[in-house]
Amino acid sequence: MAGRSHSLRRYLLTRIALAIPMLLILLTLVFLLMRVAPGDPISAALGGRLPQEELDRRRAEAGYDRPLIGQYLEYLGDVATFDFGTTIVDNRPVTDVIVQNGAATLELTMVAMVIAVVTGVGIGTLAGRYRDTGLDVGGRLFGIVIYAAPVFYLGFLAQLVFGKWLGWLPTSGRASPVVTFELDTKTNLFLVDSVITGNWEAFVDVVEHLVMPATVLGLVIGGVFIRLVRVNLIQTLKGDYVEAARARGVGERAVVFRHAFKNALVPIVTVVGLQFALLLSGAVLTEQTFNWPGIGSELVRYLDNRDYIAVQGIITFAGLVVVFVSVLIDFVNAWIDPRVRF
Amino acid sequence: MEGVWRGGAVKRKGRVAAAFAVMALVLAACSSDEPGDTDGTDTGTAEPADVTIIHGTTDSIVSLDPAGQYDFGSNQISQQVYSTLLEVPAGGSLPEPALAESCETEDSTVYTCTLQDGLTFSDGSPLTSEDVAFSFQRNIEIDDPQGACSLLASLAACGKWKDSAIETPDDTTVVFNLQAPNAVWPSVLTTSAAFIVPSEVYPADALQPDDQVVGSGRYTLAEYRPGEQVVLEANPSFYGDAPLNTRVFVQYFKQSSALKLALEQGEVDIGWRTFTPTDVSSLEGAEGLSVVEGPGGEIRYFAFNLNLEPGDEPAVRQAAAMLIDRQAIADNVYEGTVDPLYSMLPAGFAGHTEAFAERYGEGPDPDGAAQVLDDASVQTPVELELWWTPTHYGDASADEYAEIKRQLEEGGLFSVTLESTEWDQYTEDAFTDGYPAYQLGWFPDYVDGDNYIASFYSSASFLNIHYENQEVDDLIAVEQGSTDDAEREGSFQRIQEITAEEAPIIPIWQGTQLAIVRDGVTGVEDTLDPTYIFRYWLISKSE
Amino acid sequence: MSMPALEPVAPGASLGRQRGVRRLVAPFRDANGVSKAVVWVGAFITTAFVVLAIFAPVFAPYEFDSFRTDDGVRFAKQEAPSAQHPFGTNVMQTDVLSRVIFGSRTAIQVVALALVVSLVVGLPLGLISGYRGGPVDRGLVLVMDALIAFPSLLFAIVIAFLLSDTFGRGVVTAALAISIVYIPQYFRVVRNHVISVREEPFVEAARAIGAPPRTVIRRYVFQNVVQNVPVIATLNAADAILTLAALGFLGYGIQPTEAAEWGYDIKRAISDAGAGIWWTGLYPGLAIVLLVTGLTLLGEGLNDVLNPVIRRRKTVPVAFPRRPEIGEGNEGAP
Repeated sequence: MAGRSHSLRRYLLTRIALAIPMLLILLTLVFLLMRVAPGDPISAALGGRLPQEELDRRRAEAGYDRPLIGQYLEYLGDVATFDFGTTIVDNRPVTDVIVQNGAATLELTMVAMVIAVVTGVGIGTLAGRYRDTGLDVGGRLFGIVIYAAPVFYLGFLAQLVFGKWLGWLPTSGRASPVVTFELDTKTNLFLVDSVITGNWEAFVDVVEHLVMPATVLGLVIGGVFIRLVRVNLIQTLKGDYVEAARARGVGERAVVFRHAFKNALVPIVTVVGLQFALLLSGAVLTEQTFNWPGIGSELVRYLDNRDYIAVQGIITFAGLVVVFVSVLIDFVNAWIDPRVRF
Repeated sequence: MEGVWRGGAVKRKGRVAAAFAVMALVLAACSSDEPGDTDGTDTGTAEPADVTIIHGTTDSIVSLDPAGQYDFGSNQISQQVYSTLLEVPAGGSLPEPALAESCETEDSTVYTCTLQDGLTFSDGSPLTSEDVAFSFQRNIEIDDPQGACSLLASLAACGKWKDSAIETPDDTTVVFNLQAPNAVWPSVLTTSAAFIVPSEVYPADALQPDDQVVGSGRYTLAEYRPGEQVVLEANPSFYGDAPLNTRVFVQYFKQSSALKLALEQGEVDIGWRTFTPTDVSSLEGAEGLSVVEGPGGEIRYFAFNLNLEPGDEPAVRQAAAMLIDRQAIADNVYEGTVDPLYSMLPAGFAGHTEAFAERYGEGPDPDGAAQVLDDASVQTPVELELWWTPTHYGDASADEYAEIKRQLEEGGLFSVTLESTEWDQYTEDAFTDGYPAYQLGWFPDYVDGDNYIASFYSSASFLNIHYENQEVDDLIAVEQGSTDDAEREGSFQRIQEITAEEAPIIPIWQGTQLAIVRDGVTGVEDTLDPTYIFRYWLISKSE
Repeated sequence: MSMPALEPVAPGASLGRQRGVRRLVAPFRDANGVSKAVVWVGAFITTAFVVLAIFAPVFAPYEFDSFRTDDGVRFAKQEAPSAQHPFGTNVMQTDVLSRVIFGSRTAIQVVALALVVSLVVGLPLGLISGYRGGPVDRGLVLVMDALIAFPSLLFAIVIAFLLSDTFGRGVVTAALAISIVYIPQYFRVVRNHVISVREEPFVEAARAIGAPPRTVIRRYVFQNVVQNVPVIATLNAADAILTLAALGFLGYGIQPTEAAEWGYDIKRAISDAGAGIWWTGLYPGLAIVLLVTGLTLLGEGLNDVLNPVIRRRKTVPVAFPRRPEIGEGNEGAP
């Protein structure tokens, strides 16, 4: 319908327009934080090795002493052209870092998200449907406790049990050394690549390495979903149309799954998008625990080395993704629910 | 991060090594028809079977271009894919011919090196003196902030190349014209700053991308996944003996606990750099694994700033030297994986003496310390602010300095406040009169006493602790200019005596090198020496 | 003829307006069993930890950094649980039980301080911004939204870096780093609530009779808004503890010589796992799980009780008065 798509398009444009200042603030924040933070990459690498004058000389040569404003404008200009620069401490183009390590994180978080949604929606629905019964209490408690356990603690326990004591699963990396070498990585998503190239041995190996980290992360996020799904379902079940369905004599099961469920899911879409930040934080910890070569652990490493170019680049990219996801979520919401657009 | 360079000779304790003037004769005598390969073991001429070795490590790579690196991780891989003019063989004690069949000097200022004939890079292009000159020149000119051009200071200052520094009269002759006499220049020729790169491939003013490195070493780089893995394959055009294996995987781990688990599960064959003391002691009884030890040149110490209180009072420093219980630290904090250190020139290096033990005794002496302070009329407890850094030197630093605090406070002679900051802030403050006393460590650039003594005790020391002793400076000048080993050792000994007496720096421990190895993997014990080069080409697997 | 008054059977629970304490307590009394149980369990656990934190020196057998007994005998390193060390000792030769107990002190201190700072900054900002509206409001919303989008852990890490320069690596730095992460959340919740309350008739009426904005905010808006705070605060406190532990695990948190911190202890314990030393990591981790669960139960329970949308009232039976018998003075039909 013309009217509908017109308002939708306008909403989308407004939404994007609003996203830009948000992005700008994020970028400025990152820039300031990195420059104001103590230290610089050269001292981090070579301090205690070279005399102070030599360090000062190298710093000046590399241009870290230039006035901030100049560096800031240069930074903005670079971002606008998607030039994220080259990392200082290991001379990699930041786009390479984003593509290669970002793909690793993407694989981990996507699988984790699937696990999270399945657990969260599954248990949350049961808990909401059978409110205040043992199932509800059990489900809620599970959700709470699993979220309360830090992801690195769960990971450590999992490694201990499944890795060391039972010896079922490997405890680090995305794949074993030989597989990593021999796999033809087109997309850098190992699961996809092994399927595309028909390399089933590699596929199994990759899955073995993926199981623990993705499950640990997925369960923790799932814990959050359980509570959110449950609350949403409960609120939806109080709605008038549900009352009406009940009054008509529709069985409770049909009420829950046919009427309430779909509407309860709409905010879930929003919620999944909002958990993105949580996912990234969780990914950093999971990657550290499981030696997963993702963008989170690279970020921590670059941060440790005061490689502000790398950190800026990665955070900028993360910011872009976050903004994109939130715009997408809002768009989906607006598309489903016309009330949102006005 | 320190650590890095090795290259150089380790003199076995008690064995006087050949003098540098004599070295020229020795090297000349060694040159013969066959390409010199003086690695520890006689490899024979058999073709190595299809052997793959997997090495796990927690290091990371900064750059695989010699001009852009000054760290352990980069050097480790570079040592496999590049060659130098001279190299120190496994367990050896002198720089020996590698690409060069000889390097001679008469006055320690002009060095003439003669390359072997028929050398090529792994891409088939010939390796000539032009490439040698090119390699040194670009290292100095590129002057990368992360690079090691400062190691070549004898040749030219960073960024200030002089065309007269190197002459290449013909394809196989290279003449180095140093700016001042330097007896350790041959050792410098074994470090990462001296890797030879192809002039036709590498840019003169920028770093070569890491995945496109070309060298003349025993391996070629087959794959590089930053932060994950490096794959090396034997280089068929290497001038010397082929490696004992055909392929090496180097896997990178972020934490030693992950590396340890991988070892236990058989995912890697060798774990080298870096384990915590707990990791080691727990792996000692593990099935299928064994701990291999070798000598190391890593040391730890803490330094006083002589311009700040209380380090400005010699009695305070001496008292501290008397209170430190090194054995307790080695046993309690490091589970015996380190040895007490009684001099800033570690054991295993020519000229080493147990200077602090001779002066103050081996164990703690609280009465002696009290006496010293009393004689100097110093009020006790002495207020001391002691700084350390949490991650750069390993997590055990926290325990080490908690232990040192306890030791210093024994008998109420000191009142210690422990402070810490992260590494980058730490390096800024420590060397700019920010800390009265602070923790530090050291890995040698090359294996010669000069690398320790001069770095710490000269008036121009990077430590900036304002220790200035004219006699020490004179002695340093002597050992740097002399090619007479006895003279050099004498200088080192006298310096250690003086600096133990004045105690501006308190040595604490010297590390051994450790590798954790799967059963069936051979050759590791051959390569663990103070050069810190892990020579993959010596490693093999027994069936 | 008057309608006989209906009386609820349970005395004390009254309809109509209530004042002060009774207004605060009323939702609890009216809430149904499960919600109340959840609140009680959560409150119990949380209080237990707070008590542990306050009276740490009393409960803990040793100091958090004690490495030897009073006679000067050093503790063994990584010794299994025993009579002297119920939770064993760790790699730093300190008692695990003591470190867990003192760790709760650290956690409570950091979280309490972070909470206070976030509220002191976020609450007024949200109130003013929501009430005033206009460009200031829009600007603040933009900034706060951007901050919320930023992954909180990374934010906390960078702030911890910055602050460690000035404040060292102790409780204050950690608390400030965490509080900065949560300020935008308080701001947003408070602001949204203010906006909805601001349109209420009684606020308009107050404005109409000439009450200055400050009075309006203070007397009418604030009290309404503040009801939301306990739930958000407890849930944020739970999250803050996880953030603190994560910072400690990554090595950016509190220095071990300053205070005992659970996340740091787990970091040191990871190496131990491979050696079969399980007690150094298990107990600090359990402490985290327990305290965070307690706080979350408390927060969720409060939400169940206070949030009008999902709360369920106790069903109180209503008794009709005795029907007057026919012939007792009534004529005919009602």
